[in-house]
Amino acid sequence: MKNYFKRLIFGPIDLIKGLIVTFRNLITPAITLQYPTQKQAMTQRYRGLIDLYPVKCIMCSQCVKICPTNCLALTHKEGPDKKKELESFKYKMELCCFCGLCAQVCPTAALYMNKIYEIATSNRKELEINLLNPDKYAEWAHPTVR
Amino acid sequence: MKMSNMHSEQLCVNMGPQHPSTHGVLYLDLRLDGEEVVDCITHIGYLHRSMEKIAENRTYTQFIPFTDRLDYVASMNNNLAYVLAVEKLLNLDVPERAKYIRVIVAELNRIASHLLAIGTFAQDLGAFATPLFYCFREREKVIEIFDEVCGNRLTYNYMRIGGVQFDLPEGIDRRIKDFIKYMRPKINDYEGLLTNNPIFLERTKNIGILSKETAINYSITGPNLRASGVQWDLRKDEPYLVYDKFEFAIPTGKNGDMWDRYRVRMDELSQSLKIIEQAIAGIPEAQATVKAGRMIKPAAGEVYFRAESPRGELGFYIVSDGSVNPYRLKIRAPSFSNLAVLRELVKGVKVADVVGILGSLDILMGEIDR
Ligand code: SF4
Ligand code: SF4
Repeated sequence: MKNYFKRLIFGPIDLIKGLIVTFRNLITPAITLQYPTQKQAMTQRYRGLIDLYPVKCIMCSQCVKICPTNCLALTHKEGPDKKKELESFKYKMELCCFCGLCAQVCPTAALYMNKIYEIATSNRKELEINLLNPDKYAEWAHPTVR
Repeated sequence: MKMSNMHSEQLCVNMGPQHPSTHGVLYLDLRLDGEEVVDCITHIGYLHRSMEKIAENRTYTQFIPFTDRLDYVASMNNNLAYVLAVEKLLNLDVPERAKYIRVIVAELNRIASHLLAIGTFAQDLGAFATPLFYCFREREKVIEIFDEVCGNRLTYNYMRIGGVQFDLPEGIDRRIKDFIKYMRPKINDYEGLLTNNPIFLERTKNIGILSKETAINYSITGPNLRASGVQWDLRKDEPYLVYDKFEFAIPTGKNGDMWDRYRVRMDELSQSLKIIEQAIAGIPEAQATVKAGRMIKPAAGEVYFRAESPRGELGFYIVSDGSVNPYRLKIRAPSFSNLAVLRELVKGVKVADVVGILGSLDILMGEIDR
């Protein structure tokens, strides 16, 4: 009985307390970003898609070895002046878990992660990327891409 | 017809696997007698990805990103428990600065995880959207800090064997301090919204009571155990990293009901803020990583290491045969035990409370199914 009256009195007070919180929040400015029209800049360390500076690569295959999902593959051949030359560098994006281990182990920073994050596509073939192609990410161009 | 001749059949309700409040893909086979739950059989395995088997085919470093996917709400803590286990196996000591950084990010992640737990719990009880989105708003701040620190918003992969991936970026301590300042009044907001709200009290007080004995028998850990009145926190009882240098309390509950579990999480929010504050103040200037070598090859042996994740005791048991891959890796996930007790808790409650009790246990299927 005592509890009943206690609840009857304090209940509404606590309800009003909650309402005050919501009303205080009502007058604060909106914090959501209207996504397709407004876009947030990616942070400096953002881990987007894998990208490559082919000239920097020394073909050490460390990135291939460290990748936990096996999504990188490279082959090299002997060039005209007996130097090693990259023949192909494939990146299977659908397997990538964006862990960043490959970019971390690369000794010459040839491999890096760019800032592309809008990567939806309706064609599965597009997910297999040839990293030697300079225009590989043209379709996913994005204002925050450097 | 006499009453005694009438009999009613039990009704079988399939809750899940796709159900908004099962926090993932959990399938509950509920047997109801009218409104009352008579039995509840839990079916798990819908999210099984054989993490433990995968580990046997990966090197020690390669498995770190997989630990992100166990408890994806608190991946920093998962990373941490795993790398600490490997470091224990290697007998590797990490630099002091790395320890501080680990404490800071782990506690930030604990806050983010508890915020999600509180928000979804309130939503499960019918406080639709308001508390959840307030919690999400604050959680977003933490995630933005992590985005700055390690470049990802959910699967951080930040810890490395021997330290952390990068040192903290310039100016992040300012942001973390701002966050602490921002977060403190927000906790009061939640208190105003939920703690003494009569509807919330009616739905949570004295429902889903988990007694001390049951909790220990089922090896419940984390906030759920503490809500039942057992003061057990690995950060205090088996201090790892630099937790023994910080001052913080271990909040406990009395009855072990839904409200107590909520209360403990709320109190842990402020305790975590306190730890972060001390860690930021005490962080030494030094190198953050030691090189553990590219190929990590621990000597043959086995190790078990446990750390306090937001959901309880997260343990990694690693057997090494001296090669680059673990011979066997077993994950002791806190949510697994916490879910096991559900059957005890829901017997005899009304069907509407099942969702609430499940929410108050704060389970996460990614970790249960592994
Ligand atoms: S980010 Fe991780 S998964 Fe993706 S290519 Fe690099 S190492 Fe492989
Ligand atoms: S780690 Fe770097 S340098 Fe070595 S093969 Fe990969 S991209 Fe080339």
